[in-house]
Amino acid sequence: MKNWARLRKKLVIPGILVLLVAMLLAGCGGGKTGSQKGAPDSQQSAREKIIRISEANVPNIDPGVGSDYASSIALANLYDTLVFPSHDGTLKPWLATDWKTSSDGLTWTFNLRHGVKFHNGDELTAEDVVFSMQRMLTLGEGYGYLFTDVVKEVKALDNYTVQFTLKKTFGPFLSTLVRLYILNKDQVMANIKPGPYGKMGDYGKDWLITNDAGSGPYMVKELKKQEHLYAVKFDHYWGGWDQDAPDSFKIIGTTSPSTIRTLMTRRELEITDQWQTKEALEALDRIPGVGVNAAFTGTILNIMFNTKKAPTDDVHFRKALAYAFDYDTVVDKLFPGSRKAKGPVSSVLPGFNPNLTPYERNLEKARAELAKSKYASRLDEYPVELAWVAEVPDEEKIALLLQSNAAELGIKVNVVKVPWLSFVDQVAKPENTPNASTVFVSPHYSEAGSILESRYHSKSTGTWEQCEWLKNAEIDAAIEDAISTLDTNKRFEKYRAIQEKIVDLAPTIWAFDQAEKRAYQEEYVVWPAADLIKQGKPVTSVMGYMFYFREFKVYPNKVPK
Amino acid sequence: MKLHSYLLRRLLLSIFVLVGLSIVIFIIARVVPGDPARMALGPRAPQFAVDALREEMHLDKPLVAQYYYWIKGVATGDLGRSLVTKRGVLEDIMEFLPATMELVMVSAIFVIVFSILFGTLAARYKDKWVDSVIRIMAYTGVAVPSFVLAVLFVLIFGYLWPVIPALGRLSAGVQPPVSITGLLTIDSLLTGDFPVFWDALKHLFLPALALAIGPIFQEARIIRSAMTDNMGKDYVAAAVGYGIPNHIIMGKYLLKPSLIPAVSVMGLDIASLMGNAFLVEVIFNWPGISRYGMEAMLRKDLNAISAVIIVFGLIFVLVNILVDLIVAYLDPRIRLGGKL
Repeated sequence: MKNWARLRKKLVIPGILVLLVAMLLAGCGGGKTGSQKGAPDSQQSAREKIIRISEANVPNIDPGVGSDYASSIALANLYDTLVFPSHDGTLKPWLATDWKTSSDGLTWTFNLRHGVKFHNGDELTAEDVVFSMQRMLTLGEGYGYLFTDVVKEVKALDNYTVQFTLKKTFGPFLSTLVRLYILNKDQVMANIKPGPYGKMGDYGKDWLITNDAGSGPYMVKELKKQEHLYAVKFDHYWGGWDQDAPDSFKIIGTTSPSTIRTLMTRRELEITDQWQTKEALEALDRIPGVGVNAAFTGTILNIMFNTKKAPTDDVHFRKALAYAFDYDTVVDKLFPGSRKAKGPVSSVLPGFNPNLTPYERNLEKARAELAKSKYASRLDEYPVELAWVAEVPDEEKIALLLQSNAAELGIKVNVVKVPWLSFVDQVAKPENTPNASTVFVSPHYSEAGSILESRYHSKSTGTWEQCEWLKNAEIDAAIEDAISTLDTNKRFEKYRAIQEKIVDLAPTIWAFDQAEKRAYQEEYVVWPAADLIKQGKPVTSVMGYMFYFREFKVYPNKVPK
Repeated sequence: MKLHSYLLRRLLLSIFVLVGLSIVIFIIARVVPGDPARMALGPRAPQFAVDALREEMHLDKPLVAQYYYWIKGVATGDLGRSLVTKRGVLEDIMEFLPATMELVMVSAIFVIVFSILFGTLAARYKDKWVDSVIRIMAYTGVAVPSFVLAVLFVLIFGYLWPVIPALGRLSAGVQPPVSITGLLTIDSLLTGDFPVFWDALKHLFLPALALAIGPIFQEARIIRSAMTDNMGKDYVAAAVGYGIPNHIIMGKYLLKPSLIPAVSVMGLDIASLMGNAFLVEVIFNWPGISRYGMEAMLRKDLNAISAVIIVFGLIFVLVNILVDLIVAYLDPRIRLGGKL
C-alpha cells in the first residue's frame, strides 16, 4: 500500500508532462473534432469552381488607382475595356464594336456595343466612357500616366458613340486603351464623399477601395485588406459563359513559400505568384498534379550602365563588358527557363527587331574594345560600382557573374547591395547613380515603343527605369517620331531602327528575357495561356490579361485526392 | 507613496515617453530615402498628381510644420491616410489591431500558464530528469527564433500532418461573427456561435505557440532559479519544520515571491510578442497590425509607419504600468511604500 502511494506520487509529475505534450501536439487544437471539421472545409472549397491565385499584395481595385500586378489581374476581370488584348499581340473589339481615326490621327471615334450591363443592372453608355477617362486624367494615379500627356478631350456624341481628341498624334493609343476600365458613372457619383476634386468630392475613391462599379465578368464579393479579394461570376455578362468557367476567383495577398506550399498541397490555391524561388518551384513541381508554367511577358533584366560617369561613359568600355558577360551561364544555370535577350526590347513585344545582332560572350572582342577605351591603361583607377537591389536576391547572382567576367579583362567590379528605397533615391541624379545597376523592367503597354520610351527617352532619366542617363537627342527624336506614327507597319519599322542604334551604343547589358514562372494545378485547371505556351505559341504581354479567368476552366471532379 | 498617485505619476511620465517616441519616429520615417508620394503613385505618375499628394500630406512644408500637422491630427484622432491601402490609417489599425491583440493575448496566456508550470516543476524536481528535460527544452525554445518555429509549424501541421489549421484566422467557408470587439473568439462567444469560436481558437493555436515558446522557457528558467534560491531561505525551512506539506509550501509560500523577477521580464516579453509577430503574421497569413506595419515600412507609408509604432509604444507603456502594478501587488514592500 505504501509502495503504491509512493509510486503514485512518482507518476503524477511525468503524467502531467505527458498530458501537456499531448495537448500541445494535438489535443488543444487538433483532436478528432478538429480534423473532422478541417477535412470537409478543404474538400468543400476544392469542389467549388474557383481559381485562387497568390500575389505580392491584395489588389487596388479602383481603376484610377491600381496598376501593380495583383491590381491588373483584378481590373481585367472586374471591368471591361473598349478593346481587348489577344494572345497574338493584336487588339480585338470589345466594348467598342468598331472605330475610326481622323487623317491627322488626332481624333478617335468609337462605336459602343449595345445592351452591355453593369453589375448593378445599369446599361453602359458613352457617358460612362467619358466619365472613366476624365477620372483617369484628373486623378493621374495608376495607369493615368498613359493618358495625361496624350488625351486632350473626350466627349459622348450620342449614347453609343464616344470621341477622343488627342494632344498629339500617338500611334499606340489603341494599345493603351486596354487600361481604360469603364466605370458606372451613376454608381460612382452616388457614392462620392467630400474630397479634393471639387464637385466630384473624392471621385468615389473611398468607395472604390472595396467595391466595384464595373461590367466585367466578375464582381467583387469581398475585399479584405491584407487577406484577399474574392469575386464571383456576373451571370448577366454580355459575353456569355462556358459551363466549366470558374464561378469565382480569389487573389490572396501572400508570397510566403511555406504558406504557398501548404495551400497548393491542400488544393486551396490554384496558381502561385511569380516570386517563388527556383528551389520553392522545384518543391511545388513535385506535388502530384502541379506543374510549372513559364511565360515570357516582356520583362528583361538589365545591367544599366551610367553613361555619364567614368569609366562607363566610354562606349568601348561598355562594349568590352557586354562582350565579356557570360549570357549562356545566365540562361542555362542561373535562371533556367529564361532566354537570351537580343536587345532592349523583349521578343514577345510587337515591334521587336528580330534582326539585331546581340552581344555574345567573346573575350577577344572584349579585349579589342577595351583596348580602344580611354581607360584601358588606367583600369586600376576606375573600378566599376555595380549595385543590385537588396529585395531581389537573385540579382546578386548576376552581379557576381559580371564581377568575375570583368575580372578576366582586368576590370575591377565592386558589387554593392542597395535597398530599393535608397536605390530609387540614388538614381535620381547622374552623379549618384552607380556605374552599373541590375534592374528588371516591364513594358507599360504591349508595344516596343513602351520600352523604348520608358527606358531610353531623356524624360525617363532620374527614375529607376533609366539608370543609363542616355540623354541622346537623336534617340529622343527618333522615339517621339516613331510613337507618333499612325501606320502600324511604319511605326514598327522605326522601332526596329531605334533598337539597332541603341544596341550600337551599348548603354545596357540585356542579361536575359525573364520567364515569369508560376506553379499551378494543371490536373483540374485549364489555363488557356499556359496551354498556348506548351504549344510554343505567344501569350499576351499585357500585364494581368494572362489571368482573364472567364476563359479558364475548372474541373472539381479531377481534384487529386 | 499611495498606489493611485504612483499610477498617476507613471501615466504622466508615459505621456512624455510617447511624445518623445512620436518625435523620434516622425524624424526617422522622414529621413529614410525615397519620396513617399512618388513611391505611392509610381515612377510614371504625372508631376501634378505627385505634387497634389505631397501637398495633401504636407510634405512640401518644413519638418517642424509637418510634425505639427501630424501631431494635431493624432490629437484629434486623424492619423492620416495610408499610401498603400488608400484609406484612413486609423481605420486600418482598427481593423488589423484586434487580430494581433487576439494572437498576443493567447500567446500571453500560454506564456503565463506554461512558464509557471515548467518553472515550478523544474524547481520542485531540481537536478532530476524532469528538470533536465525542461532545461533542454528551454535551451532549444530560447535559441530558435519564433519565425523559424512558425515556418516549421506551417510545414509540419499544414503540409505533413494537417490535424490543425495552419493558415489564416478562420477556415475557408466559415463566416466570421458580427464584429463587436474584432477578436473572433470573443465575438463568436458573445454571439453564441460556438463552431466559429472553436474554428478561430484552432487557428490561433499554432501562431500563438510559435510566439510563446521562447518567452515560456525564458520565464520558466527565471522562475526555477528564483524558487531554488528561495528554497534555501529560513521561512521555507521553518515551514518544512512545521510539517507543512510540500505542495502547499511550493504553491502558497514559494511561488508568489519567486514570481516577482519573472513578472517584470514577462511583461516586457509579452509586449515584445507584438514585435515578434511581424514575421509570424506573414508566415501564418495572419491579417494583423504587425504585418501591416511591415508592409508600411517596405513601401515607405509614412502615416502608417508612425501610427503603428505609436500604437506599439502605447502598448509597451501600458503593459509596463500593468507589470509594475502586479509587482507591487506581489511585493508588499512596494505596495506599502517601504524601502527596498
